[in-house]
Amino acid sequence: MHQKSKRWGAAVALIAAGGLLAGCASSGSSGDVTYWSAFVSKDTERYYQEHYVDAFNEQSDDAKVKMEVKQLQNLGSLTDTAVSAGRGADVVYSAGPSSALGFASAKRIDALDDYAAEYGWADKLQPWAYQASQVDGTLYSVPVEYGSIVMYYNPGVFEEHGWTVPTTLAEFEKVATEAQAAGMMPVGAGNSGYQAQSEWYLSAFLNMAVGPEKLYQALTGEAKFTDPEFVDAITLFQQQIDKKWWGGGKDRWFTNTDTDLFTGLADGTVAMYITGTWSFGDAGRYFGEAAGNDAEWDWAPLPSLSDDVAPGVYPMAIGTSLSVNSASKQADAAAEYIDFVIDDPARSYDYLAATGQNPPPLSDLASMPDTVDERSARLYTEAPESGNLGYASWTFFPAATDTYLWSEFDKIITGDLTPQAYLEGLQKVFDGELAAGKVITPFEPVPGA
Amino acid sequence: MTSATARIGAGPAVRRPRRRRRLVAWLFIAPLAIVNLLVIGGPGLSSLLFSFTDWDGLGQANFVGIDNYVELFQSPNVLAAIWHNLLWTLFFLIVPISMALLGAFLLSRLRRGQVLFRTLYFIPYVLATIVSATVWRQILSPDAGIGAALANLGFDGLAGVNFLGDPSLALGSVAFVNNWQWWGFLLVLFLAAMQGVNPALYEAARLDGANAWREFWHITLPGIRPTLMFLVLMTVIWSFLVFDYVYILTQGGPAGSSDVLATVLYRTAFSEQRAGYASAMAMLLSSISAVVVAGYLILRKKLDWDV
Repeated sequence: MHQKSKRWGAAVALIAAGGLLAGCASSGSSGDVTYWSAFVSKDTERYYQEHYVDAFNEQSDDAKVKMEVKQLQNLGSLTDTAVSAGRGADVVYSAGPSSALGFASAKRIDALDDYAAEYGWADKLQPWAYQASQVDGTLYSVPVEYGSIVMYYNPGVFEEHGWTVPTTLAEFEKVATEAQAAGMMPVGAGNSGYQAQSEWYLSAFLNMAVGPEKLYQALTGEAKFTDPEFVDAITLFQQQIDKKWWGGGKDRWFTNTDTDLFTGLADGTVAMYITGTWSFGDAGRYFGEAAGNDAEWDWAPLPSLSDDVAPGVYPMAIGTSLSVNSASKQADAAAEYIDFVIDDPARSYDYLAATGQNPPPLSDLASMPDTVDERSARLYTEAPESGNLGYASWTFFPAATDTYLWSEFDKIITGDLTPQAYLEGLQKVFDGELAAGKVITPFEPVPGA
Repeated sequence: MTSATARIGAGPAVRRPRRRRRLVAWLFIAPLAIVNLLVIGGPGLSSLLFSFTDWDGLGQANFVGIDNYVELFQSPNVLAAIWHNLLWTLFFLIVPISMALLGAFLLSRLRRGQVLFRTLYFIPYVLATIVSATVWRQILSPDAGIGAALANLGFDGLAGVNFLGDPSLALGSVAFVNNWQWWGFLLVLFLAAMQGVNPALYEAARLDGANAWREFWHITLPGIRPTLMFLVLMTVIWSFLVFDYVYILTQGGPAGSSDVLATVLYRTAFSEQRAGYASAMAMLLSSISAVVVAGYLILRKKLDWDV
């Protein structure tokens, strides 16, 4: 009896261990399509669960999606770790095509060309986004969230000072000079709490002062980051920071947070704030009734800071791309879910209206409902139609180059590095990544757009 | 013959229990040894191998010889981070240990209220790092922190001082905050060690007319030497592994002024996606700890320390 119970104990332990290991492999049942995601709020998560996951599961006869919610801060690293080990969810998250390129090079995600043909993704997506998601002509990821960088401003403050939204360097300098004379911070900037925040401004500045065409040439290896256009741009940026136009200069840059800058925009202590359109969803927290003031916010496309750059450039950024895990046993169902996410423009724009979440870069712009905030609707119709599209660094620069861009830029702010030396370092890192095939092929800019 | 027979006869009987005891000892050690082998030995060995490759954390790892190590010692950012680690080590060897020794010695002489003070000093240590770091970020803010509050009261000596945003102050400010949490822990350990020192030694010293300083120097310090040396050793090792406070408060900035090896390693591995190069940094960190431990063991043997 004693021996028998020992054997039973061993059997139970084995079954338990087997169960644990099975749990590591997949947290869903065998027929589930697993998907890891993260959300800025519980409300957004609930909306997504109901209108995407549950809606898909209701209309699908065989495939069922099981979403696991991770922390926003570590979704990327969790996915990297799992996918690199040949595990992870069936639908693989990546923070844009550059991240997806790493998975594709390691053959951790499937080529999607067959699915693209089956579901007509080339027609559903804007051409630039579809092109950016390809690796050597093969589609590996589907962009499901996109945005840009724009200039936020407070129309009441602009009216009070008699300013018009700047579109050229001269106009930009006029507003900045007058704002500084009025005791304001001319342009909001800072990276306290999130060091990489500097690249939001840097990406904007490169697009404003160097322009999409030159950036395209640098990203494809035709031009160098050490070319005079880039050196002049970084020198101009450094001069403007030294004048305390951006973020109040080096004394304040490392202290300002995104919250400080939106608060300043609302209370009239910050004149302009150049940052991502991801803030459309929560900018309302700082303005109007919710914030206990009567301020309003609006946005304008970025001004041109060079004669060679057309005003109104939109640096394009893909925040989230989805791919199919090459280890997935539910590849077809995973692709079916990805198609579901981008298939219905009304669903995407309703999601935008309800939560402020960036929509996929859909080619259908006509389905934008009236319920979408006018400012969001304007962005998502005007930007694609303008054709003046640029490149956000976190989407189009490879990982090490991008990290160098924002981490070493601190030294430009403090004056510890010259623009020339900074750009030489940037080019060196980029050369290594270009040679290693880690640079995505950027979409071609529209000349003179 | 008789004794030989007895020895031969007694041999297996004596050896069997000894062998069984040894077997039992191994059985006790085995689970921990296996776990260590799996979670430390395995990843450690793979890190060593990856440190000679250009692995990006996802794809194929190509052998690059000692390139990563050469780059490591030529990188201004890595060298700056090592220098910051050394400064950090120096700070933590002097400031918290001195504070804790002094505090523990004074507390050990208290007859009443010792538990209260010990608890008060220990509380910061049990707070989650993220909580205390976030609170301190507010306290050190030039706009809403202690400088601004004092300025409102008419004391403007700290007004506008940007503790975490000024490259010349950032590292020291982070070390200050970390010390705030750390020194109380050391104090409790030192106090416990001091309570193990024979009270008769203090009585004898007082009879001989020794003052408090002499008691501390000649009785307390030698009496707690095992604890002191252990904590010095651990301080050196922990100082090279420091990450949490630096990452939460400054992320190594501004301009790398508070970067330490662990923050550079983290950025290299997860932001730059250069896992091979980051593995070389991890090897450097492990080597530093190994050298410290080896140095300690050699010193202990040479000086015949009883720890």
